Amino acid sequence: MAKLMNGKTATKRVQKTQRRLKTLPELPQNPTVRIGQPDFSASPVAPETNKPLTDGIVPTFCHGCGPAKPKCGILCHIKNGRFYRVEGNPDAMNNWGFGCTSLCAKGNTGPQYLYTADRLKYPMKRTGEKGKGVFQRITWDEALDTIANKLKEVKAQYGPEAYAVLSPEAWPVLQTVGRRFLNVYGSPNYLHSALCATPRFAAAKVTIGFNPESPDNWNNSKLIVLWGYNCENSAVNQGNPIAILDAVRNGAKLIDIRPMLDPLGTKADIWLPVRPGTDCALALAILNVIIAEKLYDFEFVANWCYGFDKLAEHVLLHPPEWAEWITGIPAVKIRETARMMAKIKPMFIKTGNGVGDQSVDGTSTIAAISLISAITGNLDVPGGAYGGRVPVGPPLININPISVMAEKAPPDIFNKMIAPESPVWYQKSGNSDRGPTSAYYKALMSILTGKPYPIRVLNVSCSNPLSATRNPRKVAEALKKLEFCFVMDLYWGPHVDYADIVLPACSDYERSDQIELKNKKEGTWIGIYNKISEPFGESRSDWQFYLDLAVRMGYGEDFWQGSTDAMLNEQLAPSGIKLEDLRKSPRGIFVKRAAPSPHLEYKRYASLFKILPHDKVQCYNEFIGGKANADGTGVLPYLPTYLGPPEGLAQTTELAKEYPLILSDVHGYRLCHQSFMNDVAYLRELEPYPWLRINPATAQQYGINNGDWVKVESPHGWSKFQAEYFDGIAPEVLMTRRGWWQSCDELGLPGYSSFNGGSEVNNLYSSEEHKFDKFYSQMAKQTLVKISKIV
Amino acid sequence: MNKQFGFYLEPERCLKCWACEIACEQWHGIKAGTVKLRRVVEVSTGTYPDVSRTFLSVTCSQCAKAPCASVCPTGAITKRTDDGIVIVDKERCIGCHHCAEACPFGIPQFGEDGTMQKCDLCLERLKNGQLPICVATCPTQALHFGTLGAMAGLVTAKHAKKTALNARRHKLIS
Repeated sequence: MAKLMNGKTATKRVQKTQRRLKTLPELPQNPTVRIGQPDFSASPVAPETNKPLTDGIVPTFCHGCGPAKPKCGILCHIKNGRFYRVEGNPDAMNNWGFGCTSLCAKGNTGPQYLYTADRLKYPMKRTGEKGKGVFQRITWDEALDTIANKLKEVKAQYGPEAYAVLSPEAWPVLQTVGRRFLNVYGSPNYLHSALCATPRFAAAKVTIGFNPESPDNWNNSKLIVLWGYNCENSAVNQGNPIAILDAVRNGAKLIDIRPMLDPLGTKADIWLPVRPGTDCALALAILNVIIAEKLYDFEFVANWCYGFDKLAEHVLLHPPEWAEWITGIPAVKIRETARMMAKIKPMFIKTGNGVGDQSVDGTSTIAAISLISAITGNLDVPGGAYGGRVPVGPPLININPISVMAEKAPPDIFNKMIAPESPVWYQKSGNSDRGPTSAYYKALMSILTGKPYPIRVLNVSCSNPLSATRNPRKVAEALKKLEFCFVMDLYWGPHVDYADIVLPACSDYERSDQIELKNKKEGTWIGIYNKISEPFGESRSDWQFYLDLAVRMGYGEDFWQGSTDAMLNEQLAPSGIKLEDLRKSPRGIFVKRAAPSPHLEYKRYASLFKILPHDKVQCYNEFIGGKANADGTGVLPYLPTYLGPPEGLAQTTELAKEYPLILSDVHGYRLCHQSFMNDVAYLRELEPYPWLRINPATAQQYGINNGDWVKVESPHGWSKFQAEYFDGIAPEVLMTRRGWWQSCDELGLPGYSSFNGGSEVNNLYSSEEHKFDKFYSQMAKQTLVKISKIV
Repeated sequence: MNKQFGFYLEPERCLKCWACEIACEQWHGIKAGTVKLRRVVEVSTGTYPDVSRTFLSVTCSQCAKAPCASVCPTGAITKRTDDGIVIVDKERCIGCHHCAEACPFGIPQFGEDGTMQKCDLCLERLKNGQLPICVATCPTQALHFGTLGAMAGLVTAKHAKKTALNARRHKLIS
């Protein structure tokens, strides 16, 4: 009955909307003015939005982790043409494997997400001032022609490098056809966030030869250390949280190193509430104890470490007593932890975005943490850091990857990068991520400084630059000055107001042009995105957009003459599976593995360390040390070097007198995806307002009650948040989450500005480029603040 | 009564991810901001740095002697004899809230139509041989479902494992 009752309400709402849409006059030339919220009242729309499909159960992929993550396969239940229920696809080998039907909170919002009202509906061109959001509806043809003509004109006048594209995570569209477009056009300017995963992976690679993704089997580990690893928030349905809980049930000890006592921390034997941005000091102090107390693996160090003596000498200067006043963790606790890490074997340290990716000494932090694993003899041993991906056997279904056509790019492409994310020499020597990458924020600043040259055309798809990087005020200034900007997105985010051309993207539920293949120990599974609904309004698939634009540019030959089905057929060719059969399969296609999983080998040091100088672990780093840094202003250090956050209690003591509290934010969160999904009512009702986790003792000092709005002011800007009493946080630390621009109409909850007075945490951080990490351009997400109750 | 179905939650595996709570809402088509048939709650004790947080996913316990059924003046709430599920007959419910007063756990809730709503263990899924959606969706296998006998078996097995682990540790130390 509840279902019927609410089902009835939902149907009524849709009927009402449809009636309203049908009665609208056709006003193709009327400008649409938007203040705060998209105004669709004056907009003519395609007569049938969310056109229903036939009833039944359709397999596709979850939207919940945004554009990038390996997606969970789902089954969508459709009744009366409407997506109304969702569950995990048991064949898709999600989370713990074959037969698993679990989903996370976001995944369970599928039906609600598809029908949220706040969507871009048709292509538009800007008719008013930049930033004001005054647009006029245009056709897709006009929009594509405008963009193609601009790209041709700019290439002829300034060269292809004047075009750049913002990268939202590892988005498959951009990593394949987007990269291909860049290469064929001739631009190196793929602007990567410099705040997620790749800096951390690179720092580990140049230190120990590989990125320690996981142990061979979590159950083999006797000690698991989660260091800035936030998987219960960012990937609760992607295997690791349950594997960690299983290992703990099997007797593994757990150490959690994060500023907040997060859910996995509550299960830990030791929680180290490190002050945000001081992990490097903690790692150096742990190395100090392990080396000073001679708790390291003598044999491994003697045979496989280069420059250990220099490291030992260096860490002598960093005892736990030194780290105590920086990290806020008592020296005795650091010693206890270090001894555990040295003595309980095997140990696996899992790092996450919280450490290494968003601090200005991130590279050194990861180097130091990697060296803890190395000198304690925990590399490539059962239960330790397995070298590379754990092999499961060859894929039983083979597909062609989409080539990025690197051979089409100009030969000097690496030298033309606008703002190399990592040093040019490093990227050139085969270490780039599918091609050259520039740092997002630094590259945007070229528009204002003209150095080394200004970007003239910017493709902003699937990324909101006012929340994806630091200093939204400066970014807005750059977007205002930019010659030509086109945005393709689902939503009218605050950045859309700065676009010259706006293109509506359809959601994952409204397209069928992406294939996912999963190869695991149980077997190989292949699935395709299926349509659950026809595209909303005039929205189109991002894949189709790239192909259409390429055809208009005259690149049709390299882009399947605009046919996404031809692109899919090319991928499927080696599998022998027909596209139509894949689309019709009720749960995707699964091939069971008959052969047992391959026998694992360990201690493969000669091959794992082959890429490193002297074929050894770099305690003294000659891979990057003494070589040019990312911005070409000097050389990189040989030893892990602590810097600390640009503003901190122990770092800037004078400033701390005026701004006595530390602020940081969580990178991923289980009720949103980055700054998206605050419009989804099931998620928003759980945490309706931008929260600020604060120790009750601190709050009471300032007369702040639980639920009060608080003005949070840093040396760089101010934002407002709602105080949430939280005991699992140090009295001097405040934590929040970024990106609250979306409103939730169903619950009548507002969105908040990205600028001063709003609720965007990026508004508060340092964005001084000379302070960014010199190896991979990491930016700090820690600052000092003062707080006051808003009355 | 032939059997009694019930849930078993392992708080040490619950990460407060809210998947169960939202799965229940979406599967039963509950409008956001109205009722909740399952809720994840947190019990926090202690002060920094000695803080303990425990997460619980709670719903109707399908009580052996359901007080809600006993006090219902119209007989709308009944306990099924074959599986012990406490169900509500919407047609007979008059929305008097007596059940809400009687329930020690605050389970009965009243939606837009004023009648009582609560968990029926996803009766429709059980008929198809499927687990309740909250259990099926739990990413960490913290929630379990079955007859009370089967659930008791899980508890026993867990304690046996713990004892064995402790014995092993003790042996290692000595």
